[in-house]
Amino acid sequence: MTDALRLPYVSVPATVEPVISMVDVGMTYPNGKVALVDVNVSIPEGDFVFLVGPSGAGKSTFIRLLIREQLPTAGRVVVAGRDLSTMRRSQVPALRRRIGIVFQDFRLLPAKTVYENVAFALEVTGATGAEIRKRVPRLLSLVGLHEHDEHLPAQLSGGEQQRTAIARALVHDPAMLIADEPTGNLDPVTSWDLIQLLIQINSMGTTVLMATHNQEIVNAMRRRVLALEHGTLVRDESGAAYEREY
Amino acid sequence: MRLLRFIAFSVVRAWQGFWRNAMMSLAATSTVVLMLVLLSGLLIVLAGLDSGLQYIESKVGVTARLRDNLPQPQLDALLVDIRALPGVSNAEYISPDAALNRLKDFYREQGQTLDLGGAPISLYASVEISLTDPNYAESVQNALSERPEVERITTRQVDYAKLLSIIGYVRTVGIVALGLVGLTVLFMIVNMIRIAVYSRSGEIEIMRLVGASDSFIRWPFILEGILCGVIGAVVTIILVAVAWEPIKPIMVRVFQMPTAVSTEFLAVLSAVILGVGLGVGALGSWISVRANLSSAA
Repeated sequence: MTDALRLPYVSVPATVEPVISMVDVGMTYPNGKVALVDVNVSIPEGDFVFLVGPSGAGKSTFIRLLIREQLPTAGRVVVAGRDLSTMRRSQVPALRRRIGIVFQDFRLLPAKTVYENVAFALEVTGATGAEIRKRVPRLLSLVGLHEHDEHLPAQLSGGEQQRTAIARALVHDPAMLIADEPTGNLDPVTSWDLIQLLIQINSMGTTVLMATHNQEIVNAMRRRVLALEHGTLVRDESGAAYEREY
Repeated sequence: MRLLRFIAFSVVRAWQGFWRNAMMSLAATSTVVLMLVLLSGLLIVLAGLDSGLQYIESKVGVTARLRDNLPQPQLDALLVDIRALPGVSNAEYISPDAALNRLKDFYREQGQTLDLGGAPISLYASVEISLTDPNYAESVQNALSERPEVERITTRQVDYAKLLSIIGYVRTVGIVALGLVGLTVLFMIVNMIRIAVYSRSGEIEIMRLVGASDSFIRWPFILEGILCGVIGAVVTIILVAVAWEPIKPIMVRVFQMPTAVSTEFLAVLSAVILGVGLGVGALGSWISVRANLSSAA
């Protein structure tokens, strides 16, 4: 990576601890495909960051490294103060409770109701019935689905399904919410509703990293933008648009 | 409390998983039952044969039929000589009267009366020789055959050797058959869990993403395999218990030994069935979880 591409982290106040830190991170798959090259990123707690780039640019690999679904072949990834390369396998579940994640395709369990989908995330981590009964209604209220708690995913609109997925992602009060193309299957109006929800969650202190192709939203929001091309971080700019403006 | 919640979660999920793929689960359970029924049959037959072996070992090894009207000093000398032979633990003189009384007792045990129609009858006198080991029968037989007091010698060594060979044969064939059925059972359980893992790959992926530990993900599947083995074992125990009463008289008739069909034996057999069912279920699901779970999501 050239020095010209190492851009200043203008949005990062020096006093705020980074919740995500990537240092010289490279990722080459066993088949020889190079997914990331020499990526350096620091994201402070409470930031709202867009991750943009064309398909195949390395956005999915970037996210997989953050949730330790894969380990980098070079460099260090530190999330919430933990170096993921030296983390033991048994410590990964605790890390993932610090990170909420939502996907373009929602990934809800079709046979479970809205309430059960959210409760499931607590149940499988050993939460008590009392905790579940206390937390789930609160989260469903936050995402505006408290009146749909008995509905199955198939009975919901795309936006409502994505809200359910967000409620599920927030069950453990994560430090960070990663949204991988959350508006990819939604119409423009619903997409904006969802963005409002993410802004609300971010305003409560949760760091939000959103991978997207939606230029309209990125341009309107004017937040920090990380742009990947061919696995290289070509832009890291605050208050930026989807495309380079200079 | 967390452990209890984990156990409750795993058991409930295993139970739900078992019935979610009911056809596959019931097919695997049926093979477990088949294997355990075979195992039970083998153990019952082997126990009967072992009882027969013990019976033969405990009975007279060699019987020497004596010439009529032996003088007492000659008889005493013969008994002293027999007791001095290597491998002889005891030698008992059975007089013709004692032999007749035994015959009458035998008839009485069968619910009959020995009716000689008033005819005078005299049985042979004999010496019943117990051996420390049935393998001494041949040397004792050779020693007695040179004695003029002895008219004829009978031995049970042939029965003993034959029974030993039958037991060995049954055991070998049984173990090979059990091994083959056992492998089939393992294959069925491994496959059942593999299908369960793939049918729930969405759930597993979500569990991983929301921070469920490996034990929360794996144990429900292992318990599902154990459940399959235990249900198979319980069904087999019920089948054996139901068949027990009809089996008993057959066992007594074939093996001549009621101890082979004692209640204690049934309890041990049930424990073995349960242990093997549980073990094979756990092993099959453990193999499957190790092979399939890491790649499923």
